[in-house]
This record gives sequence, C-alpha cells and structure tokens, in this order.
Amino acid sequence: MKTTLSGRLHAHLPKLQVVFSIVLLLFVWWAVTASNIVSALYLPSPAAVWDAFVDANTCHPIAEGSARIVCGSQEYFLWQHLLMSLFRIAVGLVAAVAAGVLIGFVLGMMPIVNRIVSPYINFLRMLPPLGYIGLLIVWFGIGDATKIWLLFLAAFPPITISTVQGIEGVNRDRVNAALSLGASRVQAVLHVVLPSALPSIMNGIRIATGFAWTTVVAAELNNGIPGIGALAYLSGTQLDTPLTIACIIVIGVAAVLLDWLIRAITRLIIPWEGKD
Amino acid sequence: METRKTATAGTTTDGQTLTSARREPAVRIEHVSKIYTTQQGEEVVALQDINLTIDRGDFICVVGPSGCGKTTLLNMLAGYEKPSSGWIQANAKQIDGADPQRGVVFQKPTLYPWLTVKGNVEFGMRMQGKSRQERSAIADEFLELVGLADAGGRRPYELSGGMQQRCQIARVLATDPELIMMDEPYGALDALTRENLQNELLRIWRERKKTVFFITHSVDEAVFLGTRVIVMSKHPGTVVMDVPVDVASTLPEDATPEDIRSAPEFVRLCAQITNKIYEQGM
Repeated sequence: MKTTLSGRLHAHLPKLQVVFSIVLLLFVWWAVTASNIVSALYLPSPAAVWDAFVDANTCHPIAEGSARIVCGSQEYFLWQHLLMSLFRIAVGLVAAVAAGVLIGFVLGMMPIVNRIVSPYINFLRMLPPLGYIGLLIVWFGIGDATKIWLLFLAAFPPITISTVQGIEGVNRDRVNAALSLGASRVQAVLHVVLPSALPSIMNGIRIATGFAWTTVVAAELNNGIPGIGALAYLSGTQLDTPLTIACIIVIGVAAVLLDWLIRAITRLIIPWEGKD
Repeated sequence: METRKTATAGTTTDGQTLTSARREPAVRIEHVSKIYTTQQGEEVVALQDINLTIDRGDFICVVGPSGCGKTTLLNMLAGYEKPSSGWIQANAKQIDGADPQRGVVFQKPTLYPWLTVKGNVEFGMRMQGKSRQERSAIADEFLELVGLADAGGRRPYELSGGMQQRCQIARVLATDPELIMMDEPYGALDALTRENLQNELLRIWRERKKTVFFITHSVDEAVFLGTRVIVMSKHPGTVVMDVPVDVASTLPEDATPEDIRSAPEFVRLCAQITNKIYEQGM
C-alpha cells in the first residue's frame, strides 16, 4: 500500500491540531501585544514572558549594565520554587494515600463504622481547604507543617471515599467465586476485593492530586517562599507581570503532567481497567 | 428406588451419617423455604417447601420462568445464603458456607482480569496451598480439556464470551469439586457457540463423572444436557415437575449430538416440559 502525503497528514491530524492551536494562541497573543492595544503591564508579550522565565531560572545582572548579579527570583530559581511545591504535594499525598486507603478499607469492610464516620469525612471533603487554614496556622504555625497538613486534609477525603466505594462496589459473584474455589475470607479480601477496588482507589488518588495541586498553590500565598504559588503571587504584587504569567503557565503545565503521571501509573498497575 | 433406600439406611433424623458417605445422595434438600423481607417490610416467599434429592452423577437441569427462585436455590446449595426453614445436605453434611467441593459457574464470567487465563484456573489451587508445579500441571490439563490450551497466557478480557465460560468451567474443575452448579452459563451466547459448549459440557461430564446442577431458561438445553429436568413455577417458587430424561438410550450407541437433538423422544420431552411451564402461566 502506498502512503500518500495526505494520508500521513490525516493520521497525525489530532497532534497537528494541538500544535496549530498553540501556535495560533501565541500568534494572537503576540499580535495583541505588538499592536499596543493593551499596556505591557497588563499583558506582556510572549517574548517578555519567555525572558522572565529564563531569568528566573538563571543568574543574571539585576538590571541592564549593572554589576550586581542575582540568581532566580525571590532568592530561588523558578525550578526550585516548583520543586518545593511538588515536594509539599508529594509528602501530603503519600500520607493521604496511606491513611485514605487504610481507613477506606476498614470503613468499606465495616458498614456500621462507615455509617458513623463517613458523614464527617464527607463534611471535610466539602470544606474548601483554605477555609480551615487559619485553624491549622494556630495549631501548626505558619511554616511548612501547616501546608503539608493542609494538603493531607485536602487529599485524604476523596481517597478514603473512593476506596470505600471501590470496596462496596466489588461484584458479589467475584467474591463468592473465590470462596467456592476454596479461598478463606481473608484470602478473598486480599486476592479479590482489593484488586477489584484498585481502579476506584486510583481514580480517587487522581482526583485528590488535582485538588491538592490547586490547594498547594493557594496555600503558598501565605509565607510560601520557596513555592511556585508564592512566586506567582509575589511577582504579581510587585507588578512583575511577565514572571507572573510564566509562573501561571508553569503551574498549569505541572498540573497536566501530574495528571498524566497518575494516569500512566494507573495504566501500569491496572492494565485491565475498563476492559472487564 | 435407590434414593429412598439410602435415605432410610444412611441417615438419622438430624442428618448425621451412619454408614459410609459413598451411598449418600450428592445433595438432599428437605422442606426448604426462603422468605425475603423487602425494604418496605413485606415478606416475599421466594421458595416454598422444596424437596429434592440429587444422586451422584446426576445432571439436573432446572427450568422455570424468571423469578421462580432457581438462582436462590443455587445460592443456598452453594452456601451463599441460608434457607429460612428446612435443611440442605451435601455429602450427608449440612451446608454451612461455600466449599470447594461445590463449585459454581456463574452466569456472567467472574474471571479475575488481573490474572492470566491460566492464573485464573490455578486460583483455587493457589488459595488451597498447592505447589507451583502441581498447580501448573493441573491447570494445563483442564485448559486442554476445555480447548483453551493455547490461551493460558492471555487475559480473560481478551477472550470471547464462549471462551470465558470455558475458562470458568476449567477453573471450577481444577479444584475437583463433587458437585458443579451452573447458573444459565450459556444464556448470553450465540446459538452456535451455545451448542458447541453444550456438546463439550456433556463430554466433560461423561469423562469426569461429576454431579451437575444446571439452571437454564432453555427447555432444549435442559433436555439435551440433563438426566433429569426439574420445572419450577413462581409465586411462590415450587417444584411442579420432575422428569427423568434419557434420550440417548432410545438411539443407537454412536448417536451424535445432532441425532439426539432431532430424536422423536427429544421433541416429545421438550413439548411436554414446555406445556408444563405454560400451564403455570408465565
């Protein structure tokens, strides 16, 4: 079979469309800034944002021709800010996954305890985390401990609830089949209930990660340096709009990559998802 | 007949064994009723006063309209549910929970997607602590028996519906149960696959000499497979007919499955059973 140019183009069309969409956006952005309709303070050009992004990741003179060299922004490189935010989310999430899966498992196996406890977990889930950050500051101070607790409390309810749902939703026949094949109750739980609940648990972790990322960025408004959310906020208050926009783009790209990572892990550990 | 003899000689009133279990029927169901209470607090009689003796090596087919309690009866035989009154014995012992002696093939395959086809067949043996080599050899034997010798490394969701049911049968056979219960296992399959699996099941049953309790909607299927057909009615679920089936004996030794399906005796039995079902008013 001969592959024609139009045929090959057709196969790559979805990818090309994405690239085209980004190019178009950059072009419109550039056109708007180049035509001076909007002041550069409100909307800097793509080039200015790129320069701000590079400057924030390198050491450079503090001003044109100055001998004084500064490194990054707010005493850290941008990637260090990002890394710090990712570190916070990792610690909070790991703790939330451990506690959420464990507690969710217990609640899923004991419906009576679940009925008593789940209203509180639901209440916690409904609360916007920034609504109770004041209380956490009283308890844990304004340092990192508060932010990690905040992330933990934001990520823990969705993971717990998904775990409970995953366990409650396990097909009865699957468990009965195991018992009739000679599995003990404990074996049925370990070898059938847990793997059956895994897709739901992973879904909960994915939701929790997205939620935790929005929370960490917002939580860093308060004493968050180093932290990408804090950098975005402070650069804005200092009218350094190019850097603010660079930070916003980094935050968004990081969110997309985090989600992609979770989905990749999910595919790796539960390749059967959606196929049975 | 045989059944009555063993029943009087073999058991006391509380169902304990006196003589060797060999002479006991495979299953005895005595005055079993099952009453459910709905969420509204109403009581629904799913099964009323069921009495049934299943002999070793029998292939019992249960037919009846939806809601006649066929599956409820199977669930109690399997040990997933308890009767509201009466008792059920398997192998002269009161049924108390699930047991690998009583294997179940479910209507929708309950294969585990995180295991390979062979891993599924090995599952029961792995739970019972059999060694890896022994498991592997037995699994290969039963995959071969159901025609899945080449599919052992695949995942259940990569198999067709018919192959999944074959895998389920291999998985149950691998734990060597005495009684195999099947709940409309071929209900969702196309006609051709269905006939193939029926022929295959009959061959396996003859080779392995298991006792089978088979639920179906299809009268043809029941008459083709069964040595005995039980017809149930609903509201409440009771046994309304219990006919022995032996089409093969009216035919020459070398009769094919097709011969059986077109034999006059086969057609007569199907008509008789269908009439009985319609009498109940579906």
